[in-house]
Amino acid sequence: MNLVFVGWNHRGAPLDLRERLAFTPEKAREALRGLFEERILAEGAIVSTCNRAEIYGVSDREDDLDALSGFFSRFHRVDDVLLRQTALTGHGDATVRHLFRVAAGLDSMVLGEAQILGQIREAHRVATAAGSLRAVTNRLFMNALECGKRVRAETGLGTRPTSVAGLALTLAGRIFESLKGRRALLVGAGETAELTARLLLDEGVSEIVVTNRSLDRAQALAAASGGRAVPWDQRAAAAAEADLILSATNATEPVLTAAALKTALSRAKRRGPLLVLDLAVPRDVEVEVGELADVYRYDIEALTGMADANAKARLEEVPRAEAIVEECVGRFADWWGSLLQVDVVRGLREKIEGIRLAEIEKYAGKLSGLSEKDRATVERLTETLVGRILHEPTVGLKEGGASERLEKAASVRSLFRLDDPPR
Amino acid sequence: MVDSAAAAAWSGGFGWTALALYAIASALYVLNLYKPSVWTGGAATACAVVGAVTNFGALYARALAVGTVPYRDLLGSMKLFGFFLAVLSVVLELRHRDRALGPVLMPAALFFMLLALLEAPGAGRPAPNPDLKGAIFALHVTLNMLAYAAFAVSCALSILYLAAGRALKSHRLSGPATRLPTLSYLERANRTSLGLGSIALGTGLALGFFWASRVWTPDHPHWALDPKIFFALGTLFFYLFVLVRARRGAPGVSTARLSIAGFALVLLSYTAVNMFVSKLHVFRA
Repeated sequence: MNLVFVGWNHRGAPLDLRERLAFTPEKAREALRGLFEERILAEGAIVSTCNRAEIYGVSDREDDLDALSGFFSRFHRVDDVLLRQTALTGHGDATVRHLFRVAAGLDSMVLGEAQILGQIREAHRVATAAGSLRAVTNRLFMNALECGKRVRAETGLGTRPTSVAGLALTLAGRIFESLKGRRALLVGAGETAELTARLLLDEGVSEIVVTNRSLDRAQALAAASGGRAVPWDQRAAAAAEADLILSATNATEPVLTAAALKTALSRAKRRGPLLVLDLAVPRDVEVEVGELADVYRYDIEALTGMADANAKARLEEVPRAEAIVEECVGRFADWWGSLLQVDVVRGLREKIEGIRLAEIEKYAGKLSGLSEKDRATVERLTETLVGRILHEPTVGLKEGGASERLEKAASVRSLFRLDDPPR
Repeated sequence: MVDSAAAAAWSGGFGWTALALYAIASALYVLNLYKPSVWTGGAATACAVVGAVTNFGALYARALAVGTVPYRDLLGSMKLFGFFLAVLSVVLELRHRDRALGPVLMPAALFFMLLALLEAPGAGRPAPNPDLKGAIFALHVTLNMLAYAAFAVSCALSILYLAAGRALKSHRLSGPATRLPTLSYLERANRTSLGLGSIALGTGLALGFFWASRVWTPDHPHWALDPKIFFALGTLFFYLFVLVRARRGAPGVSTARLSIAGFALVLLSYTAVNMFVSKLHVFRA
């Protein structure tokens, strides 16, 4: 019986192959059903993201990795040789370690990214709904989620944003208690402005104002984001009324000058800090704008520099994160080992026998009036009772497939508290 | 009848205990700023709360000892000032669930408590001047102290605002400055402190005028010309100007700078003016 994983991710598989191996929840359910029907896995779950397609499970087969690779070759109609060449595989602790590292963000393309935890949770949900999660994989995935959360709580791996969008939100979070009720100005109406509008709306920005050389395009974006458009020549006044400005035009000259903004700010009714994000190359916002009181300006160079610094800082957290992962792997290995030692029957018998002896001891005073023969009868009676009660569970624990046996053993351990120290 | 010597001893005991607690709280707040932890932060808050309660005990025992408000001299009044700083720090922390003010306000409370404990010999003896008794005088002094404490908090918030703003302008995303509250919170909390301080100072001064017109007029008919009164009124008008300006949308940076300058005026009024300029507002019983 093996704990096994096979996967294709950004480290070994090219993008076009990863695209072909991607699983929707429906496809994941179908694949899990097929793996069960072909008796390749006794239990399992599939983690599928834009960067990886990985299956984790318990198998009784000697040729489990070959069988898994062959199954996916047929399932996705991909060349089996290519799959074998690009696959990452592992058994036992290597499987656990890989999933825990994935959950911690240590195996992600962007080190420490947080979305992977949600994706693992989704894989757990899909597998639970498909009925393919049993004792081992359920525990594996729950422990992976705990491990991922621990790494994020105890290290700085996920705290420093490394994307421009993440940095923008971090900066906004240091200036405003919340973006709810804030007004944002988008200078330009291209793809960046459109994506930003969506992001800002998700964060609760109350009003989006769009300005663009072409008023039509500004109006189109404003309509799509529930905001309003202002003419290009009124951009400085609109900037002075905003809490957050994002500029991303193709202009070759600055479109927001310090002099114009200073004048507009002196006439504006707004108060409070103003965050200016200039994502354009060449820059849209004059450098001197950052020198105005209460105006915090960041251009793409500054944001990229901060992202690089954060990525470097995240790298420094890797040893601590790896240590936590190893601790989590160790704990899982202990639990897994205890299941495989097949000492549940012995443990159960010892526990019940202990209870029997304790009860005999407890009633020793009342039994003292009995003759030697009667006491021996009581002793035999209780022994027989215990033997009869334990017979069915003992047989039941040895029946069924590997996964079923493990599941039963785990239940017995938990119900009878076999791992608790004796009281 | 309370034994004034015993009460003075109790006041000293409570005072030194509060001082020790403020010192521990200050250290824990600073440690928590560099290495945030639920335990360090919680211990800092607990020390601050117990310190403030003990400080109140010191003030109460002192009031029993002198038979009037416990802050009739400069150093004694600093005990009240330290108390208000600690209370405001805890209130703001609990209200906004943010410990960023602790590293600034608790050391300030500690400083003023230390000065208060270095009081002049005899300061804790019963007050011979019966004029210094009564609710109006007590309220006048208490409200003025509350105003000064609120202005101190405003000063602390302003220092934090400038530090946070500077860190943002220099594109720093790590270090203690990143653990400061948001600029919009600091700005809002500063306006609240300015408002609270201005109301307390205005009311305290009005009560002071009422008290002085009854008590001082017979012996000092020109009491209104005392430089301390001019200084206090000037401080009030300065803060009202800063407050109105801030509410009308003045940049947070300039409000912060003016708030710091305003507190320099408060310190001047509280120390040099009382000790060297004023003829009537002298710290003696």
